[in-house]
Amino acid sequence: MNEVSAPPFEDLSADALTAPEETIIVSKQTFFDAHQRATIEAAMARIIPTDQEPGAREAGTIDFVDRYLSGIEFIYAKPDGSGFETLTGKRAEAWRGRVEILRKTYVDGIAALDVLSRETFGTEFKTLDERRQDEALLRLARKEAQASGAQDEGPALQQTLTETELSFVPLLAMHTRQGFYADPIYGGNRDQIGWKVIGFPGPSSLLEVFTGRYSALPWFAEGEEQKYLEANRGE
Amino acid sequence: MANRTKPARADGCIIGAGASGAAVAKVLTENGVKVVGLEKGPWRGRETFGGDELANINRYNLWPDPLLNPRTTRAAAHEKPRMELFCPVPQMVGGGTVHWQGWLPRFTPNDFRLRTVAGELKGASLADWPITYDELEPYYAKVEWAFGVSGQAGANRFEGPRSKRYPCPPLPVSRYAEKFHKGCEALGWNSFPTPQAALSRALNGRRPTVISAFAQQHGDPTGTRSSALNVFVPDALKTGRFDLRPDAYVRELTLDSSGKIKSAIYEDAEGDLIEQEADLFFLACGAVESARLLLLSKSGRFPRGLANGSDLVGRNVTFHEYSAAVGIFEDPIYAWAGGGYVGASSFQFYEHNPSRGFVSGGHIACAGVGIPLPINWRLPDAPAWGAAAKQNDRDNFNHSMAVAMVLHDMPRHENRVELDDEVEDAWGLPVARITTSVHENDLRQGRFLIDRGADILEAAGAKRVQKVYAERVTGNCSHQHGTARMGDDPSTSVLNRWCRAHEVDNLYVVDGAPFPTGTGANPTLTIMANAWRVAEKVVERRGAIG
Repeated sequence: MNEVSAPPFEDLSADALTAPEETIIVSKQTFFDAHQRATIEAAMARIIPTDQEPGAREAGTIDFVDRYLSGIEFIYAKPDGSGFETLTGKRAEAWRGRVEILRKTYVDGIAALDVLSRETFGTEFKTLDERRQDEALLRLARKEAQASGAQDEGPALQQTLTETELSFVPLLAMHTRQGFYADPIYGGNRDQIGWKVIGFPGPSSLLEVFTGRYSALPWFAEGEEQKYLEANRGE
Repeated sequence: MANRTKPARADGCIIGAGASGAAVAKVLTENGVKVVGLEKGPWRGRETFGGDELANINRYNLWPDPLLNPRTTRAAAHEKPRMELFCPVPQMVGGGTVHWQGWLPRFTPNDFRLRTVAGELKGASLADWPITYDELEPYYAKVEWAFGVSGQAGANRFEGPRSKRYPCPPLPVSRYAEKFHKGCEALGWNSFPTPQAALSRALNGRRPTVISAFAQQHGDPTGTRSSALNVFVPDALKTGRFDLRPDAYVRELTLDSSGKIKSAIYEDAEGDLIEQEADLFFLACGAVESARLLLLSKSGRFPRGLANGSDLVGRNVTFHEYSAAVGIFEDPIYAWAGGGYVGASSFQFYEHNPSRGFVSGGHIACAGVGIPLPINWRLPDAPAWGAAAKQNDRDNFNHSMAVAMVLHDMPRHENRVELDDEVEDAWGLPVARITTSVHENDLRQGRFLIDRGADILEAAGAKRVQKVYAERVTGNCSHQHGTARMGDDPSTSVLNRWCRAHEVDNLYVVDGAPFPTGTGANPTLTIMANAWRVAEKVVERRGAIG
């Protein structure tokens, strides 16, 4: 990295990029303290609530995000599902910087959520009832949107979103979706709960995709699977 | 910086090992030319790819990490550029063919003469191509057969004449493709199975493709998709004449005293600078990065960047734009199966028709709404969170599909790729700054195409249809063209008809950069066909040029 940081890097604290690794990344699988964890778990349960079917709480999306923020050891699952990639060099450097930014968004966001909850309802967020929690999240989201010029909601059908640019509530919503629907290896989507809710007959594990055993042909048009298999018998 | 032995001079040096670079490597090496390939990114095998949406889409496992490879963008020269993950294409051996699902339609004959067909359009820099469909046709056939494309010859009523059928029949019919065909049929519009970069039957020693749910934007762990990585790179390696060096980031091209390129200076994985000399140089970095490398290569002779005496390098850049009408159906259509892009298309509104009030048109086709899961994309009016959002996912995941368009955005002189004044990448080089503003024609054409997509969904029986109009060009197609136009007139183009620089005798640009217009179709088949055409010409004239 250059000594003189260009604008994109100014937002990263210089320390995040240059300080020795061990002072930044504590080697454990979680990041939040007990209060932060309880607050995020409660907030995630409002992002994807439990109804007649399980929601974010049952899917363990809190474990997903707590682990993500723990360092750079759980960024990429190995594609065969046997563990996680070890990041090195510039890639590791970029991810350390990114995780630092996300941690700050969470820590500041949790504090702001509690302040707002106390001001509005007289108590911290995690102890509010669900209706008031929804209200607190909505109000914070509105404040953030005003502050950021409402750039947070990407256009519909847009595929490229940069997490580091998101405010707290949109980031929380995105991570809850990720934790609900991403492969269970990342700590969320426990027992494929997210997939069951929407009816996605996903692979039993990353390994099933990796080896080519996972096939979506049964969900093609009537008779197509059989035709394909017959035409390619022996291949 | 360690002292390394300077590598031997090569016949040819190809910079970039994606679709075009690999195609050139194949053709040159199979014809006896010794080639060095310098690829900025890693050389990853299929064992590094998996069905992991989080890694592949959210965490830059395939796309360039914007903290390492930023780009900046703005709508006009007076605006302050902002950082954006603009037009991400994997930077690794295989390039864009690693993450694509590979829609490979041919351009139509009129694509090569749009200026003649449509006339002048104010505020746009329309140009005819210096080559015709007929000149390119044999190379379309070569790529379709060598690369491996599944499709149905003659099914696209608007396609130009073809010399050969496809090597493989279309891929199986998805339920969402079925809806698309049904809607088109009800409206009396032509539709056809999207030609795709995958094998529906064994071909050239390769087995039929595995049909997963993780395809579009995912690497292929089975190695059964048609990609530069799976096909053209191995073809070139088989000759023993292709020295492919990954993690070789070319920082500059240097000149000799006669004004030809002497060498490429690249930084390897250890940070050492290495000089590679060659007779001929082929830029294949993608239209944005190829332009950037030219602009980075300043010299006394070319103070504004290599081959840029005309100040045209980087200009007329086009990106397409992806947007869609989205429909919800009563019956399940599983528009994630196959990755969401297998595949029905229509060119009914592709050709220019003056009665529509705008120039040209675009390819429309069926698609999924997720890639494949509802992590990153959701229905246009769906809330981001809460009980209603969950209900929406549950109700619609298996019941929704898109009819998407490839917008043919108009080339404009002021839409360009330059070097950013402030932002550098993690290697200390100025990044590409993209200035792009939409032409009114883009907006009109986009609305029209999305409206037709909605018509198809309604005619197919969708119970609810929503339209998402494109309001600006965001680079979300991962397509890029222009920046080094080919043409017969050196005052209006950077390259000649053989994609050789007018101003530098041993420099070729073979990716999408030479395209005078972006057209309304997915570009990579044409990029590969054109690269093959150029490489064959180089082989034919090698003595004279070298």
